[in-house]
This record gives sequence, C-alpha cells and structure tokens, in this order.
Amino acid sequence: MTSRKPLLEALVAMLTHDDVLVSCLGANSRYLPHLAVPAPVFALCDSMGAAIPLALGMALQRPDRHVIALEGDGSLLMCPNVLATVAAARPTNLTALLWVNGHYESSGGQRLPSAPVDWPALATGFGIAHVERVGDVASLRTAFPRARAAQEPALLVVDVAFDPNEPIPPYSERPDAIRARFRIP
Amino acid sequence: MSGAQRIVAGLEAAGVTVAASVPDTWIGKLMAAVRESTKIRAVDAAREEEAVAIACGAGLAGGRGAVLIQNAGLFNCGGVLAGLVDLYRIPCFFVVSYRGDARDPVYYHEPKGRVTEPTLSAWRLPYAIADRTTDLVGQVAQGVERAVESRGASVLLITGEDLA
Repeated sequence: MTSRKPLLEALVAMLTHDDVLVSCLGANSRYLPHLAVPAPVFALCDSMGAAIPLALGMALQRPDRHVIALEGDGSLLMCPNVLATVAAARPTNLTALLWVNGHYESSGGQRLPSAPVDWPALATGFGIAHVERVGDVASLRTAFPRARAAQEPALLVVDVAFDPNEPIPPYSERPDAIRARFRIP
Repeated sequence: MSGAQRIVAGLEAAGVTVAASVPDTWIGKLMAAVRESTKIRAVDAAREEEAVAIACGAGLAGGRGAVLIQNAGLFNCGGVLAGLVDLYRIPCFFVVSYRGDARDPVYYHEPKGRVTEPTLSAWRLPYAIADRTTDLVGQVAQGVERAVESRGASVLLITGEDLA
C-alpha cells in the first residue's frame, strides 16, 4: 500500500491557482506547510469532521473555484451524515479525498473500530454520484482530474498505508496565522 | 411582514449569504422564509456541527454565514465551536430556537430550556433574546455584526412567537 507523502505530493502537483484546499487535522495539515501548494490552504489542527462541511461552505460561496477537502476515515466515521448534506447541496465544485488507513493517526495510532466499512458503497448510498477508489499515485493522477471535471460532488477513497514510525513533521503554523493568510482571490 | 420575514430581512441587511440549518418546528418555519430570499443560500445540514462548519466556510470564502438550529442542536456544537470558530476566530451568527423557555407549550423541552442560557454563559457565547415588539430586523443585523466584529460566535434566541 502506498504511503501518504507521495500521494499528497501527487495531489498538490495537480492543484492550480483556481483551487482551494481544506485539510483535516493530522498528517495532511502537518505536511502541507512543507509543500509548494499553488492554491489557498486552510489547514485544521482540531475539529475532527469539519473539513468537508467547511469546504462545502466555501464551494457554495465561491462557485468559481474548485474546493478540495482532505478528510480522514476516523473523522468521517464520526459524522458520515455530512455526505448526505453534500449530496443534497449538489455543489459542482467540490471534491473530497478520504484518506483511509484504519487508524487515528494523529492521536497516537489507535485503531478505528474494526468494522469493514465499505466507504465507496457508503458514499454512493448517501447520494454522492462520483465515487472512485484510489490505491496508488498513478490511479490518483487519473482519478483526480475526472473528479474535478465531474460537475457534481465527488469523493475519492484513498487507501493509504499506516506507518507508526512515519516521520510526520509537527504542526508548524498557528491557527491565527493560517486564518490571517487564507484568502481566495 | 411576519416575524420570520423580519428575521430574514435582518440576515439580508447584514449581508448573510449562506444559512445552514437543521430544523425543528420553529426553525423549519424560519427556513421556509429563508428559502424565499434571493440573497441567501439555504443549506440543509444533517447535523448541527456541519451547519457551523458550512457557515464558517462561507465566511472564510468572502461571504457571511449563519446557523439556524434548535437549542438541543447547539448543545451538540461544543467541539466545533471551540476547535473551529474560537480557535480560528471565524465570525458565526446563530439563530437558535429557545425550546423549553417559559413560553414554550411543549413540556418535554423544559430540560433544554433550563440549561440553554447557563450553557451559553459557560461557553462564553454572547447572546440576546429576540424581542418581536421592537426592531427585530435590527436585532438580527446587530447580532451578525457582533459576530463579525468579535470574530467569533453570536447567538440570537428566538421562540415560536417571534416568527408570527
């Protein structure tokens, strides 16, 4: 299974100035300050489950931008209902990437409840029309452009390796600095 | 103009662009009035924490967001209020149905009514109680501006009578 960093780097390489990136707490938010992201980034360091609805609000407010939300499986397991909210709102400019590693990585690597959650089936059942499963960098490079062009809410389920010894950098930006810097031109 | 229409007029006057909601009987009536607005996008959320994040997202993207929920739903929002609204200092205006106050005819809401204002105080959320006998439009707009100026949450408590 592919580790997180090459997947995240591949995603960032596909972003443009017309995108907006919203990251859930944890490893994604901690890596992003160290990558050259061409789009505005709003990185969460708390509030599990907020990335997708936060991105939905941005997408509705700015239909001229494509908003990409990064969310973890532990976070979405707390509030999968947000998928129904997204399906009902039907933004044409929202793509969510669900990073599935079966662990609460940022809180010490505890395992999620050991249920075999079928994320694509769950998302489809909630009404998300465009759902794809991604397992490596090559499939992400082909799936993400399709999701962005779908003209309907899209979810990419990204299977990512869990490595308890992964040298994830610490948070390097304070929330007030993230908030102050965040602007969508 | 009904009370619900005056509340919507206040939201419009204050520049609210997105109103995210989980309804109860009263908030459902208010959202029906919101849906008549050409200036406000009504968003139906499945859970109150989502509504808060949706409103914050609209605000971060250059609009102004409002959350329309019941007090029971507000009680669900402690985490997102602390970890998003307060931590990132994002303006977020709430219209909250004050179920269980002295004017609520439904007995089973009483426990929620007893803890509503103590909860708002404990969470340090500035709030006002709507007064339909005065300038309700201005009271709503003032609540929105309070959220913007404080870069945080601001709550207006309403009852069913305020919507008539």
